[in-house]
Amino acid sequence: MTPTLSLRERSETEASRLPPLLAYAEQLAGTVLLGDHGRRRAGLGDDFWQYRPAQHGDSRRLIDHRRSARGDQQFVREREWQIAQSVMLWVDQGASMRFASDKGVPQKQERARLLALAIAILLVRGGERVGLTGTRLPPRRGNAQIIRLAEAWTQDVDTDYEPPEHRAMVPYARAVFVSDFLGDLAEVELALTKSADRGVRGVLLQVLDPSEELFPYQGRTIFESVGGTVRHETLKAGELRGRYLDRLAERKAKLQELCQLTGWQLGLHHTNDSAQSALLWLYRALDGGRR
Amino acid sequence: MTILAGIGFTAPWLLLGLLTLPILWLLLRAVPPAPIRRLFPAVTLLLGIQDDETVSDRTPWWLLLLRMLAVAAVIIGLAGPVLNPSRDEIGSGPLLVVMDATWAGATQWSDQSELLAVQLAEAGRAGRQVAVLRLSDPEPLVFQSAAAWSTRIPGLRPEPWQPSDKQLNGIADILDTVEGGFDTIWLSDGLDYSGRNATLDLLHSRGAVTVYQSTQPTFAVRPAKFEDGVVRLTVARALTDDTREVSLLAQGRDPAGTMRVLARATAQFAPGDEEATADMSLPSELRARITRFELEGQRSAGAVTLADDSLRRHEVAIFASRQSREALALLSGKHYLTQVVVPTAEFIDGTLSEVLPANPDVVILADIATLSKLEEAELVAWVEKGGLLLRFAGPRLAASDLARAEENALMPVRLRGGGRSVGGAMSWGEAKTLAPFDETSPFFGLRIPTEVTVTTQVMAQPDPTLADRVIASLNDGTPLVTRKTLGLGQVVLFHVTANAEWSNLPLSGLFVEMLDRLAVSSAAKIREAVNLEGTTWTPTHIMDGFGILSDAGNLPGVPGEQLVNNAIGPDLRPGIYTNENRSLAMNVITEDTQLRTANWPASVPVRGLAIEPERDLSGLLLSLALILLVVDVIASLVLSGRLGFGRAIAPIVALLMLPTDLPAQTAEEADFALTSTNELVLAHVLTGDASLDRVANAGLRGLSDTLFFRTSIEPANPVGIDLERDELAFFPLLYWPITPDQPLPSDEAYAKLNTYLRSGGMILFDTRDADIARFGASSPNGRTLQKLAAPLDIPPLEPIPSDHVLTRTFYLLQDFPGRHKNTQVWVEAAPPDAEQIEGMPFRNLNDGVTPVVIGGNDWAGAWATDPDGRTLLPVGRGYAGERQRELAYRFGVNLVMHVLTGNYKSDQVHVPALLDRLGQ
Repeated sequence: MTPTLSLRERSETEASRLPPLLAYAEQLAGTVLLGDHGRRRAGLGDDFWQYRPAQHGDSRRLIDHRRSARGDQQFVREREWQIAQSVMLWVDQGASMRFASDKGVPQKQERARLLALAIAILLVRGGERVGLTGTRLPPRRGNAQIIRLAEAWTQDVDTDYEPPEHRAMVPYARAVFVSDFLGDLAEVELALTKSADRGVRGVLLQVLDPSEELFPYQGRTIFESVGGTVRHETLKAGELRGRYLDRLAERKAKLQELCQLTGWQLGLHHTNDSAQSALLWLYRALDGGRR
Repeated sequence: MTILAGIGFTAPWLLLGLLTLPILWLLLRAVPPAPIRRLFPAVTLLLGIQDDETVSDRTPWWLLLLRMLAVAAVIIGLAGPVLNPSRDEIGSGPLLVVMDATWAGATQWSDQSELLAVQLAEAGRAGRQVAVLRLSDPEPLVFQSAAAWSTRIPGLRPEPWQPSDKQLNGIADILDTVEGGFDTIWLSDGLDYSGRNATLDLLHSRGAVTVYQSTQPTFAVRPAKFEDGVVRLTVARALTDDTREVSLLAQGRDPAGTMRVLARATAQFAPGDEEATADMSLPSELRARITRFELEGQRSAGAVTLADDSLRRHEVAIFASRQSREALALLSGKHYLTQVVVPTAEFIDGTLSEVLPANPDVVILADIATLSKLEEAELVAWVEKGGLLLRFAGPRLAASDLARAEENALMPVRLRGGGRSVGGAMSWGEAKTLAPFDETSPFFGLRIPTEVTVTTQVMAQPDPTLADRVIASLNDGTPLVTRKTLGLGQVVLFHVTANAEWSNLPLSGLFVEMLDRLAVSSAAKIREAVNLEGTTWTPTHIMDGFGILSDAGNLPGVPGEQLVNNAIGPDLRPGIYTNENRSLAMNVITEDTQLRTANWPASVPVRGLAIEPERDLSGLLLSLALILLVVDVIASLVLSGRLGFGRAIAPIVALLMLPTDLPAQTAEEADFALTSTNELVLAHVLTGDASLDRVANAGLRGLSDTLFFRTSIEPANPVGIDLERDELAFFPLLYWPITPDQPLPSDEAYAKLNTYLRSGGMILFDTRDADIARFGASSPNGRTLQKLAAPLDIPPLEPIPSDHVLTRTFYLLQDFPGRHKNTQVWVEAAPPDAEQIEGMPFRNLNDGVTPVVIGGNDWAGAWATDPDGRTLLPVGRGYAGERQRELAYRFGVNLVMHVLTGNYKSDQVHVPALLDRLGQ
C-alpha cells in the first residue's frame, strides 16, 4: 500500500466519524433555537435596523414595498448589526474521557464533544466567533468553522488526564473548558489564573459518568485508568465508597473555589442526564456572562 | 444386583464415595475469588486509600451446592442405577395364549402385541411350547416353539366383532384335541360377552389362568341419526366411570375430493354415564359428503360408524305444467309428489335452468311435454352425469308429439298417440290393477294393495327394447312404469299422472314405497324390512377391526332380510352394501349393542397391559453431572467478573428462542406493513433505474430530515415501492420520477393506484426535464408520463394558481423550484364556480387534496442528501443555488403539509394571520 493511499484511507475514516457528531450537534442546537430567551442579536433574526435605498444587485424579494410605496425610491430593510465576540473552547481529549460505565450511557468524551460542538453552532448562529484554545484553530465565524471544530474533535489523545490548553488566549474573550477534571488540579489552577490575568472569563463544565458519582463497586477489584497509567487494587471495594465520595466532594469544592477566585462559572453534567439541559445551562451561562 | 428403594444398582459399593462429599465441601469453600479488573478514570482519587481489613471472600453457598450435586450425580451414575429391575418368576409347561382379538382391543393392539412378544420371549427362554387362540376367529390349536409364534405376531389382527356363541361353543372341541394340562394367559379386551365365563371354566380346568386386561376405557359410537335437523351421535363406554370429554370427527371428501375432517363435536360424559350424545348441525351439502364418523384418538371398528344414504337428504326439484286455476291443491300435479318428497328430502325451487347447476339428485317433470332446446340439452347432460329424471304422464304429454316417431333422449319408450282410457263410464273394460312385480324390477318384494286401479294411461309403442325397460306393468301386460339408463343416470316414466286423475296410485302407500325404491325420497327408510325384502345387497367396502375400510373384493351378496336380522360376524362383515343406487352401512355397533365391563372371578389374577422395561439411569445421571458442571463454569465466570451476565446469557437465550418455522413471506409483509405504519413514511416509486431510485430515496431522506428538523412531522426513513407487489395504502405521498424507458405497470397495479388516488393518496410526478423541455409531450419523459398516467383516474388539471393552498400550507411560496426552475407545476383544477371575494387574498376552495402534482423540476435531486446530511447534487451556483435548494425544501414541506392537513390552510379562519404575514 502506498503512503498516499493509506493517508487518504485514514483521512476518509476520520472524515466518516465527523458527520454524525455534527448532525447530532446540529439537532441538539436546533432544540434551543426556539427557546424563550430572546436572541436580541444580529444574524438571522428579524429585528429591524434601518431602511436603505435599494442598490443594483439587491434581490427584488428584499424590497420593502410598504416603505417604497410612500415615495418614488425603492427601499430595502436592513437588519441589526452587532460586534461579535470570540469564544474559545477546550475539550479534554484525554484517554480518561473515553469511559462509559454502561452500554446505555455515552462516553464522557462523546458527550463533551457533542455539547461543545452544539454550543459552537449556537454561538456561530448568533454571529459569534468560535475557536479552540491554543494556536491550532483561532476564533473565526461561519459554518466552515463548525466543520473545522468537528474535525479537530475527532482526534483522540492516548495519554490520561490531558491538562487544559491555556496558550494563545485572546484577551477579553470568553472560554469554555469541558473535561472531567479528574487529573492534576494544579494544571487547572494554572490555566484559570492565566486566563484571569488576560481578562478571559468563562465556564468550566465537569462531565462525569454516573458510576464516578456513585462508586457502585463491591469485592476484590483492580481499578485502572483508561490509559492504563494508574492502577489501584483493593480487596473490598465496597469499603472504599465513603472515603472516595469525600475526596470527590473535596475536589468539586476546590474547583468551585478556583472559579470564584477567577470569576468563572462551574457546571456539572452527568452523562446519563439529557444533553439538552446541559446545553441550555451552558448557553445561559455564556449569555449571562456577556451582559 | 442390589435393589435400594426400587432402584437397582450394579455397583453398589461405589455409593460409598458419597461419604467424601463433606470433605470436598470444606476444601472448596475457602478459595477466594479472582480480582475483577475495572476501568475507572476516577482512580486518581482512590490512590493512597488503604483497605481496612484483608479477609478473603468465600465461595457462595449455592455454587458449592452446585458442585456437590455434580459430584454426587457422578458417583451415583457410576454406581449403575437401574429403574424397574425385573423380578418376575417364570413358569413351566405348555402355554396357551388366548386373545379376545375383538374390535374393543384394537386401539390397544400395539400394547397387546408388545405384551405378547414379551410373554413369548419369556416362554422361549423357559423352553415352553406355545399356542395362540383368537376367540373371535378360533382355529385348531398348534403348540409350537415360542420363536415360531413370535414371527406370526404381526399377522394377528383383531376382528370387527365379538366372539359369537357359535364360535365359543367350538372352543370346547378345540381344547379337547389337546392332551394334558397347560397354563393360560388371556389377553382380554375388557368387554364382557356371553359364554366368556364358560370358556374361562374350561381353561381353568386345564391349568392356571392369568388375565391381562387394559385399563384404558373402551368407547363405541352408535350409528348416526338425523333428527330435528341435526346429526345426533351417541357414544357408549365401558371400563371407566369418570368425567370425560370425547371428540367426534365427521370425515368425508371435500369438494376437491380429498378426505378430511368436515366437522367436529364433543360429547361429555358425567361420572356414572354410560352414554353421551353429541349433536352436529351441518348444512345438507356437507352432510351428504360425510362418509364416516369416528372418535378421535380411538382406532377400532367400534369407534367408527359409517354413514350411508340415511343421513343424506336427496335434493329434489319438481316441475309441473302450469295451471291457470289457483287454490286447487289436490288437483295439482305437484301435490302428491310434494307430500312424498318434503318429509325426507330437500326441495329445490326455481326454474329448470336455475335448478340444474345446483345439481339436484332427482328432477321430477309432472306432465311436461315441451322443453326448450337448451333446457333439453342441459337436462340430458345432467342425467348423463348420474341424475334421475322422473316423468309422469298426463293430458299434455298424451296430446303432444313427444317421442312419437322416434325415441326421445328424455323418454324411456316411444309413445302411441292419444293414450287409452279404461274402466270409465264410457268404456267397456274395467279399471286395471297392477301385475305382480317382476324379479328384476326394483319394486320386487313390494306388496300391491288390491284397491290400486288405473283408469287412464299413455301407451308405449311396442319395441324390441320395450320388455327390458318395463319395471312395472298392469295386469293386462301394458307398461305402467318404464325405465332406461342414460349415461350414468336414468330416466323413469310413470305412464299415469302424478295426481289422482288417471289412477288412484298416488293415493296409496305403494306410491311412496315405489318412490323410495327409486331412491327419490331419502333412504332413511331403507332399513325397514319391507324395503329390503327381495333385494340382494353387495358389499363394496368392508371394515376391519381397526375401523379401516378396504375394498370388498368378490365377497358374495347378502339377501336384504339378513342385513336386518343377522348379527355382524364372519358371514356379515361390517361395511358398505349397495343395491342399485342405494347404499346401506352395516356398522359394528348398532342401536342396541350393550358395552359391559368384563368381571373376572377373584381366583383369576388380572394384570394391566403396561409393561415397564428396565431402564438404565446411569447415562441420565452422568449427563446431569455434565450439565451441572457447565452451569458451574458459567457461574464461576460470572462471579469472577470475566463474563458479563447479560452477555453470557443473551446468546444462549437467543439460541433457545430461535424461530423455527416462521412463514417468511407473511413475516416480511407484516414487517413491511409495520415499518410503514408505525411512523409516517414517505415513499417513491421504483422505476427500475438504480441510480434514479437512489437519488429519489436520498431526496426523500433529505426532505424527511428537513421535516423532522423544522416541523412536527417526524418521518422515518423513506422506502421504495414496487407497484406490482407492495401495498400503497400506508403512504400519504408517492414520489414518482419519470424515465423514458420505464415499464408500464400491470392492470392490477393500476387498479391499486386508482384506489390509492380515490382514497386520498397523492402522487408527485416528476419528469425531471424542466431544464430542457416545457410541460407537455415535448420530451421523451413527458410522453412517458402521458402513457403512464393515461389509465389513472386523474381529475382535470391546471397550472398551480397563485392562491392555491400549496402556496401557504407551511411557508409562503410563489414558485416551486427543484434543481430546475420552471414555474409550470400542475395540480387539480379548481371548481369552475370558485370566485375570489373582494378583499380576500385567495378564493374559497374547500375541496379535497389534489391527488396529483405534476412538474419537471427534479425536486428529489434538490432534496437529496446522504445519511450524514450532506447534499448529493449541486443546485444552481453559489448563494443563489443554496437559496433555490432552500425553496425546494420549502416546497417539499408545503407539499407534505398539504397531504397531511388537507385544505386546513385554505380555511378563511387563517385570513387575518396570513394577511398579517403577507402584508409585511
